[in-house]
Amino acid sequence: MASADDISSMFYDESEKLENLINNATTKSELSLHEIIETYFQIMNVSSMAVILKQQLQADEHKILLDKIIDIERVISEKFNSSIHPQVLKKLTKSIQDSIKNLQSEDSEQKSKEDIENEAKLYEELRQKMSTKEFVEQYDKGLSHD
Amino acid sequence: MIEDIAKNLVHLKKEFTKIYDGKSQIQELIPVSKSDLFPIKQKDLELLHQFATKNPIYYNSYEKIIGRTLCIVYEGDINKYWLNSIQYDSSYQPFYPTWIMSAYVCVLLAKDLGYHEIIDIGSGDGRIAFCAKILDLESYSIEIDDMLVELQKLLTILDFHPHCSDAVAFDYFSLNLTHPIFFIGGLPQMGGTQLALGVMKKINSISDLKRNTGWVFTGTYSQKYQLDPKNEAGWGTLIEKNNLKSVQTLSLPTAWAFHEPEETPYIFTQTVSE
Repeated sequence: MASADDISSMFYDESEKLENLINNATTKSELSLHEIIETYFQIMNVSSMAVILKQQLQADEHKILLDKIIDIERVISEKFNSSIHPQVLKKLTKSIQDSIKNLQSEDSEQKSKEDIENEAKLYEELRQKMSTKEFVEQYDKGLSHD
Repeated sequence: MIEDIAKNLVHLKKEFTKIYDGKSQIQELIPVSKSDLFPIKQKDLELLHQFATKNPIYYNSYEKIIGRTLCIVYEGDINKYWLNSIQYDSSYQPFYPTWIMSAYVCVLLAKDLGYHEIIDIGSGDGRIAFCAKILDLESYSIEIDDMLVELQKLLTILDFHPHCSDAVAFDYFSLNLTHPIFFIGGLPQMGGTQLALGVMKKINSISDLKRNTGWVFTGTYSQKYQLDPKNEAGWGTLIEKNNLKSVQTLSLPTAWAFHEPEETPYIFTQTVSE
């Protein structure tokens, strides 16, 4: 079984990774699908750790760690949930709409094998965007139940 | 014989997946000639090839010996149909076809079980209904997506009666069915259950038809999907609750399971006698 020190150290490491991802999301105008998935997974990872730790830690013995938990929860709530997450969802929705529009406007005249197979890549990208949006929407549903 | 053809087709598909190096979204094959492995009438095989050749979803084809069978490989793309289908609120599952050969083998079994009419629900490009006509059964093709129904109309080399309609609202009484079998074209986890129940409700309301009707369900063993506690590749609960019994299952290649180790199970069921 991991000691309190191990858990504490793990939480600090994971929180640092999350803060880096949030800073990255704040500075970039658009995140890649990989970055979106990575950031949301880290949010869920750190949030779950925080819930478990808060149940196990004693207020007087682990004040510093508890303060860190409160601090990171505030970052998640104020920076991520209130600002970054709605932006991600909005941009994904727009990007999907644009892709659909572009693909619909593609000339359906006789195409070569290469043209069809290259265009298929755009459809695959659209499917990936849609699947990422579903994942982000699941997170959103979780927020509305909190 | 039908089970042997199904097994030989699965074997052929496995050989094909080992050597296929193309980039097409979907691909399938049809043997060129009647053989010991595929004892199918030459005329029937030619009609299957005609269906593929005329079908605009395929943009390339070439001959290839796979195992010891000379086949024609058809390469296709269904993206524009997928794009259209995702815009239908009531569409149950985006179009992803079974193999033409698999459709033919399924209909061979339906005919062997004694059914007179095939009704293909969520019929895509109509290949199951087309195969029914090859085998001299009456057939009806019900598809909600107008773009796919337009595609079917290009393929009525034999008239398999394409209907653009929501299958749960269709008037089956008007078809004067006597001994029909319904193919439900949707996985249970992707709206197939809802579709099947909707059609069953309509059929059960037609006097005397319930006990004469067969149902074929498209299942999956993929771990991507939630299992049904009563098994039957995802259909066990529906089969039990609707007083049906499974009479045979054929595992056959489909476009969506091309890269999967398991083929697609088609579960043939009929009403349990009271």
